[in-house]
Amino acid sequence: MRFRFQRKYLCIPYFLFLILFVIIPIFFIVFYAFTDGSGQFSFDSVVEFFTTTNKINVLIQSLLFSTLNTIICLLLGYPVAYILASSKLKSSYVIVLLFVMPMWINFVLRTGATRDVLTWIGINGGTNPYLATMIGLVYNYLPFVILPLYTTMLKLDKSQIEAAIDLGCNRVQVFTKSIVPQTIPGVVAAAQMVFMPTMSSYVIPETLSEGKIVLFGNSIYLGFANNQWNSSSFMAVIMLLIIGITMLITRNFTEKDNSKEETKW
Amino acid sequence: MENNYIIELKNVSKIFDDDTIAVDNFNLYVRKGEFITFLGPSGCGKSTTLRMIAGFEFPSKGEILLNGRDISNLPPNKRPINMVFQRYALFPHLDVYDNIAFGLRLKRIPVPKKDKEGNLVLKIDHKKIRELKREYSLIKRNRHLEEDVKEAKLNEIEKKIEQIKSTPTQSYSYTKLSNKEIDKKVARALKIVDLEALEDRDISTLSGGQQQRVAIARAIVNEPEILLLDEPLGALDLKMRKDMQLELKEMHQKLGITFIYVTHDQEEALTMSDTIVVMKDGVIQQIGTPKMIYDEPKNAFVADFIGESNIYNGTMIADKKVRFLDYNFVCLDDYPLNEKVDVVVRPEDIHFVKEEKAMIKGVIANKIFKGMNYQYTIMIGKTEVMVKSTASYEVGSTANLSINPDGIHIMKKDFTTNVYTDAWVNKNNEVMIDDKPFACEITQLVPDSTLDEDGNVVSKDGKHKYNFNDADVVAEIALDKIDVIDNIDSEECEAIGEIVDSIYVGDHYRYILRTENEEDFVFVSPYSYNLNDKLGISVKKEDIKLRLKKEVNEYEI
Repeated sequence: MRFRFQRKYLCIPYFLFLILFVIIPIFFIVFYAFTDGSGQFSFDSVVEFFTTTNKINVLIQSLLFSTLNTIICLLLGYPVAYILASSKLKSSYVIVLLFVMPMWINFVLRTGATRDVLTWIGINGGTNPYLATMIGLVYNYLPFVILPLYTTMLKLDKSQIEAAIDLGCNRVQVFTKSIVPQTIPGVVAAAQMVFMPTMSSYVIPETLSEGKIVLFGNSIYLGFANNQWNSSSFMAVIMLLIIGITMLITRNFTEKDNSKEETKW
Repeated sequence: MENNYIIELKNVSKIFDDDTIAVDNFNLYVRKGEFITFLGPSGCGKSTTLRMIAGFEFPSKGEILLNGRDISNLPPNKRPINMVFQRYALFPHLDVYDNIAFGLRLKRIPVPKKDKEGNLVLKIDHKKIRELKREYSLIKRNRHLEEDVKEAKLNEIEKKIEQIKSTPTQSYSYTKLSNKEIDKKVARALKIVDLEALEDRDISTLSGGQQQRVAIARAIVNEPEILLLDEPLGALDLKMRKDMQLELKEMHQKLGITFIYVTHDQEEALTMSDTIVVMKDGVIQQIGTPKMIYDEPKNAFVADFIGESNIYNGTMIADKKVRFLDYNFVCLDDYPLNEKVDVVVRPEDIHFVKEEKAMIKGVIANKIFKGMNYQYTIMIGKTEVMVKSTASYEVGSTANLSINPDGIHIMKKDFTTNVYTDAWVNKNNEVMIDDKPFACEITQLVPDSTLDEDGNVVSKDGKHKYNFNDADVVAEIALDKIDVIDNIDSEECEAIGEIVDSIYVGDHYRYILRTENEEDFVFVSPYSYNLNDKLGISVKKEDIKLRLKKEVNEYEI
């Protein structure tokens, strides 16, 4: 029989890719999470995780770092994005690029450089591990906040803002009642881009706190490095769950707003 | 308040940062409760004027008075004026109720402050001072204002500030409207716009017409003194638009507030308004009732823009007699003898008559059924006449037409240039006006082009070639660019005619020279000529401005 090319064959490579690099690894993680060293089904790692205060502490610390990082990035990035998007400067996009440019530099190299700069200005990772890590996290994730916020703010509906002024808003009220609600999709997207990667970040806390701060990502890495495959796999599952939950929560926001966008146009 | 005007615009001009003049010396007085429409093509300054009344733009010159008080530099949230936006501009994150209640929730009602003994508290009004200071800096930065006017205004504000600083006045505390009051007001607004059942709906689930109603409700719920509407029906389909027109008119009568409406749709303006302001290039062309503007358009632009019309160049040939379409019509308007005028005839004012009664005859070239009647295009020689009639005639047959004197509207022509709409280019690249060749610069039809040895126009980059032989063009010659040659036998004469009219205007004369073919050349000259003098004229090549009637690429070779 002669081989006849059909368009659906084009998706075969993607399928193979997904199976090899997504489905099978997740299967292995789940498999290791719920088995013991001999391959027998067991809840050992579950019990171990929830009874080890150290691991719970790491989880809580990671959640705190992620939340704080998200909030700080939003607080810093929001005004920057607003000013850039509303400025009449033709070069505002260049300034956006300047903010984003550090992302083009090798991540490990950049973090190493950050450590040196911080040490140079007196924020030593050894003496101020929390501050140094926080600064490193904010510095690294700020571009991820500015970009989505900048694009939503470029699309701000000017007539909605004018309508708000017309109905009696002063400058502050225009901001809280018209601009902020309009930019919620961008804020959600930005928060997603910061919160989840911070949870699993490894290089930044490792390098900047000189190993003093252990986030969830470091903890998982340490586990695998020490051949604790089962307990570390369970921690990875926890991570997957947290990411999944945040996705579900934030998806509600963005979907609602997208549907509105569509009907509007 | 000595008069009944709610809003007055006095010599208002708006000049944008790039020095474009959007509105030029606008004067308008609006009576309380009036439905007034700004009508004009896009870019005529109507929206800018509306935005100045709303407070989104501040006038560069002139004043806007609300109930006699100058509000020119007051921001929109401080004006008792609300606006319905072109694309509604509803808040998508709020439902219908919250959208409408938006303005009410921001509203603060002043309550006089009293101390423990019940005496009124007197304080210096710092808020007012801040407002005046803002106005001060706004005026100071305005670079379009004349220095002395600016100085006077700034001094006035300074005096006001000093006065407020020295005299404490009653101070107020501000309270919100109660939820109950808001409820009541929203319910009433919803009733006015016929949306009672929809208050909990999401904005995105509403149809265009319903969104429109919410937008109107959101504005009127604040009980503004003036409601501004910026092409509010533009996004609706035809039938919906017609229904909303009538409803808006009804609402206006019910509410009794002043409506200022902006549209480019002449039919909308005629249906709804008490008064129409026709605008063009930032200048008011005519203000009047719809009937006045339709029946007595002030100039050719208004006539053309409002309703359909036939516009011709005419000449007054006797007392109340005008000549156009090669016929001498009796008319009602009185203009000086030999004056060149614009003649406007509405299509419905031209009647089909029996052959023996015909004033003009033509051939029916086109017939379109329009529901109510037929619209005919009739060719009289080379000129088109548009006629509307309920009777049906065959295309190609002869039309016998007559026009009653009251159907002929005569308007003074603006003498700035001679415009020849039926000129054409001959094979020597000369423009034919009145069947006489005039030397001209044909390369002006294509920017930066040159002429090659074959008489073709070559574009700057050399990629395109054009041949304008036989092209129909509109030629324009300024009045002062026509040179007079006394010796009519001279070879320099490009056209020869007879002086039929002369007017002395200040320091020079304005003459009309008529050729044998009844083409007129209007020119100015400091010298005195007599009526019936035979003269020759010539025009310098570079002084004839040409404009193609068709697209330039039709002549590409």
